[in-house]
Amino acid sequence: MSLLNEETAMEPHGVVEYLTEVEEAAEDVLTTKQQIIDLDMKRNRNREALNALKSGMCSEKVKICFGNMFIKFPKSQATQMIQKDQEQLDSELNHLRKGLKANVNHLNEKQGKPELSGYNLLPLSADEMKAIKSVLKR
Amino acid sequence: MATTTTPTTKVPEVRDITRIERIGAHSHIRGLGLDDALEPRQVSQGMVGQLASRRAAGVILEMIKDGHIAGRAVLIAGQPGTGKTAIAMGIAQSLGPDTPFTALAGSEIFSLEMSKTEALSQAFRKAIGVRIKEETEIIEGEVVEIQIDRPATGTGAKVGKLTLKTTEMETIYDLGNKMIDSLSKEKVQAGDVITIDKATGKISKLGRSFTRARDYDAMGAQTQFVQCPEGELQKRKEVVHTVSLHEIDVINSRTQGFLALFSGDTGEIKSEVREQINAKVCEWREEGKAEIIPGVLFIDEVHMLDMECFSFLNRALESDLSPVLIMATNRGITRIRGTNYQSPHGIPLDLLDRLLIIATSPYTEKETKQILKIRCEEEDVELSEEAHTVLTRIGMETSLRYAMQLISTAGLVCRKRKGTEVQVEDIKKVYSLFLDEARSSQYMKEYQESFLFNETQTAQMETS
Repeated sequence: MSLLNEETAMEPHGVVEYLTEVEEAAEDVLTTKQQIIDLDMKRNRNREALNALKSGMCSEKVKICFGNMFIKFPKSQATQMIQKDQEQLDSELNHLRKGLKANVNHLNEKQGKPELSGYNLLPLSADEMKAIKSVLKR
Repeated sequence: MATTTTPTTKVPEVRDITRIERIGAHSHIRGLGLDDALEPRQVSQGMVGQLASRRAAGVILEMIKDGHIAGRAVLIAGQPGTGKTAIAMGIAQSLGPDTPFTALAGSEIFSLEMSKTEALSQAFRKAIGVRIKEETEIIEGEVVEIQIDRPATGTGAKVGKLTLKTTEMETIYDLGNKMIDSLSKEKVQAGDVITIDKATGKISKLGRSFTRARDYDAMGAQTQFVQCPEGELQKRKEVVHTVSLHEIDVINSRTQGFLALFSGDTGEIKSEVREQINAKVCEWREEGKAEIIPGVLFIDEVHMLDMECFSFLNRALESDLSPVLIMATNRGITRIRGTNYQSPHGIPLDLLDRLLIIATSPYTEKETKQILKIRCEEEDVELSEEAHTVLTRIGMETSLRYAMQLISTAGLVCRKRKGTEVQVEDIKKVYSLFLDEARSSQYMKEYQESFLFNETQTAQMETS
């Protein structure tokens, strides 16, 4: 274990502590990843629902399933509700992705790996990227 | 970039020389051969001996990696065949793929198409990388099903549904007319793994899913199989690119790029363009959108540069966007090109004053033997023990380069006689076939009269 500094390598207690820290950091990364997946699944289901509401059913009221209960709801209100939910999901996903980056950085740091290059850069805008793209193609 | 169509001016570029092709004689070098504490190992990563200079190069390398010494210059000086280019190569190899390294021979800048200083500026700007990030929202998944409903009349809007899945989830997308068109254009079918760019709607096929591999027994060789994507369907993809400043210069002088600049038709990049790019890149850096990676510009045979170039170098090193300049020369005290002044290494004293100088010394017999061994491995030539000793002696008495040349030629002779190992006889044969520098000069002296234009020799004698 070259990552360990000398004092911790000496005593087993220190090693266990160090490994726990790394495992914790790794666990954080995995949980955030899973959360993102779950939220995206929800987002996709909402999107399907919105599509279904837009086309098809012509009745004024629709049935919505909350947990294990169906509730009849006016169509416009239902759409609004889902849209609001979508927005919230989007912002939450953004938040999680930011958190994921911090978590990965934390894990790398704990493992003694160098920080990924360019990891903390802000992205270029679409226009700027378009200009750069012509360089990259060659 | 299709918005403007200005007549494009051609910008001649200093030809890019890939690291491996240019220095075939140094293809065995993988790094500087230092351990973690920067102590040089006797033989490592293709490097042999030159311990002091390798250690010095290692210190410089660490400083380059940390970005501490942008805008400094290093001179590697030593007799021919003492591993100057090898050390520069070693630095290049250890910098990793992300740090720009530009190699250039001193004589390359003398071209008719552009001025010397333009060639030098281009080389300087090639050695500075800009790291930027691209971020796109994509939908990535395996196509489970595509269902397209065409109207019975044959014309009118088509509607359809696309089912995509990852290992975690599956969802249905409603398709509009445009999307259906691009899907059929890409010939997307169930079992393909595709990505859809959210912003532009561009579809690209990554390959076919492994789970569908059994669907076809006969298929083209170009069919690529990929895993079904993992995780969420709508992903954020971040790609970090590294481009050199020179490349950004070129697009901006070719087209009315994102800085909307006028372009000249002199075939050279205007200094206004360069200044604007510098400003833009600095702006990006301040906004946290770009990182600047000062790379390495290596000028071999630097004594070939003239006074004009040296004064340009002096100035260019002071610019805030400047790479680390590594130069190599095999000259002692000699005339600076284009002047009558004598100076050490043929470099003016004011520039010499700014340089960190690394000296290389001739290889010992043992080191020569090691190098020859490494080269044999590199060139796939088996050498018997005696032949190796003979070759080492030749290397010591003539030059290392000459001995290295003999390896491949002796290898050929050996193969001709269907041998597996190069023997002393093979070496003897090629030694008699090819002259080394000393024997060649000797031959010249003896048979001068029978050559053409031998009077030039005497003419030169008179002037000097």
